[in-house]
Amino acid sequence: MSSTRFGWRVWVVFAALAVLPAFPFMTGYRLNLAFDALLFGIVAMGLDLLMGYTGLVSFGHAAFLGLGAYSTAILLERGVRSLWLCLLVAIVVVGLYALVVGYFATTRRGIYFALLTLIFAEVVYTFFRYTMTFGGSDGIQGLEAAWVLPAVPASAIDSPLKNYYTVLVLLLLAYVACRVLTDSHFGRVLIAIRENEDRARFLGYNVRRYKMGVCVISALLTGVAGALYPVRLANATPDLLLWTVSGEAIVMVMIGGIGTLVGPVIGGAFFIVLQEEVSTYAPKIYQAVGLSADKGVGLHFLIIGVILVLIVLFMPKGLLGAVRAVGLRRPRSMAPAPAGGSE
Amino acid sequence: MDYVVAVLLPQMLHGLVFGAALGLLALGLTVIFGLLGVMNIAHGELFMLGAYFGIVVIALTQSFWVALVVAPVGVALVGALLEVFTLRPLYKREPLYGLILTFGLALTLREIVREVWGGDMRRILEPIAGSVPLLGMIYPKYRLFLLGASLLLLFGIWLFFTRTRAGIIVRAAVQDAEMLDGLGVDVPRVFTLTFAGSAALAALAGLLLAPIFTVVPTMGVEMILLAFIVVILGGMGSLGGSVLAALIIGEAQSLFSLWMNPQRVAIALFTIMILVLIVRPRGLFGREGVLE
Repeated sequence: MSSTRFGWRVWVVFAALAVLPAFPFMTGYRLNLAFDALLFGIVAMGLDLLMGYTGLVSFGHAAFLGLGAYSTAILLERGVRSLWLCLLVAIVVVGLYALVVGYFATTRRGIYFALLTLIFAEVVYTFFRYTMTFGGSDGIQGLEAAWVLPAVPASAIDSPLKNYYTVLVLLLLAYVACRVLTDSHFGRVLIAIRENEDRARFLGYNVRRYKMGVCVISALLTGVAGALYPVRLANATPDLLLWTVSGEAIVMVMIGGIGTLVGPVIGGAFFIVLQEEVSTYAPKIYQAVGLSADKGVGLHFLIIGVILVLIVLFMPKGLLGAVRAVGLRRPRSMAPAPAGGSE
Repeated sequence: MDYVVAVLLPQMLHGLVFGAALGLLALGLTVIFGLLGVMNIAHGELFMLGAYFGIVVIALTQSFWVALVVAPVGVALVGALLEVFTLRPLYKREPLYGLILTFGLALTLREIVREVWGGDMRRILEPIAGSVPLLGMIYPKYRLFLLGASLLLLFGIWLFFTRTRAGIIVRAAVQDAEMLDGLGVDVPRVFTLTFAGSAALAALAGLLLAPIFTVVPTMGVEMILLAFIVVILGGMGSLGGSVLAALIIGEAQSLFSLWMNPQRVAIALFTIMILVLIVRPRGLFGREGVLE
């Protein structure tokens, strides 16, 4: 087990995020936006374990996100108010589902792995989309807030602030866990699998077991983030389970920088903030110049689509990779390469 | 007997009509997969683009039939441009980059369409109105035309791949592009033309199905999953397999929906899919060693 060193920059960033709400421009609305940004940062980081470190592209992470969200929503709806109990249940539910998906999906490689995860996720989507007990296409609406501590009711602390710090703590824990994991023996075996699966197998590693392990860990990170989502949204809808959401998670990883853990967090935050700002202002600008406002609603997807295409073509290591490439940062020893760098 | 004529037969015919059109869509997908190793997520958007180009041409010329020729040509051009400028630089890389890139292309195309035409549902009127008596039931003429046109196209594609030099070159490129290059064939041009051709097929399927469905920017997203299922069931890279699988899926979806609600139909199809991937990972007619 090699020791894990954390760069000081990471702590600076976390410290900055911790004092962020103190600034006057952080209104409740902006705090909620920051909550979403960090939450999807966790999702993208979880996916990066699979994509960047193991070379497996999952097109089914929406299912982990959505299952986490639905498990919290169902509990809140039925009167369970403890956030920790919700998270615990989500871990169990998402973990079990991930075991099943991982068991079948890891039998295949490459595109087939991506498609198997996609199809499993579609089953989950279809189930929630058409099951009236869980609200069908409307999802579960109008949830009450969760308690962080049993003694502190939800209303005692300003809610967006409380939510923001909860997700920040989770992000910190998730980051430390991922860093330790990727620097451990387990993480090195994952990189070995990415670089040359057959060789890893010939060296005596049970490749399938490692893949299943990382599938479950990746799913749990995403699932925990998902479980936290209804706490802010006060709802859970089947839209969270759409396969395009899985695609968006991949976009976040690619934009930020695959195989860097920090990059995907940046990518996730970038995606969410861009989405929010563009879809807020575009319809207004469209209306101001006399165009139909409903066209501006999807404009952020257009921008994101173009950015994704450009990044895949010209910056395959994402924003963080590009920054490192121009020498602003010394590369880590054994810096991970993008997914499946060699075949 | 009444049940057969009044319920079962029309539903089976619906399934056949839909399956044949789905076959056109899946065929392009599987050829691209076999040839370029790219699972083209943007294929659904090319399908959608066919319908929108059709709307434009119909508005200009008042003729569905002109649109049926012009729209696929337009989409083929779009496809050729996409291949040359975005996919070509990726062939040297991991196939998964192709998957991610085409997701980006899909987003871009879909939102461009929304920017240009808006997100409202649109309709294309059936160019052939009315119904005819058929086997004791009344069946819409346009659906029969759709079935005939799809089958004719599928037959034409089969002729192309087996009887023409160009078709044989494409098949050779699917088998071994490097060898073909060594034999002096301009392989990049084969790639571009094939991609354009598959885009045209998707556009044709989109325009042909448009009078039955509604035209919205997200119509491709809904179809592409079904097309993926078809391609996997038929076996990646297998042309005949894709067509057969499309007919099976069309029939299955159509018949299942007689006895199940849409949720169960979808879950049943996905379950078939998962079982196929586990039991016969290469599908019905898949070749060994394709991207594994």
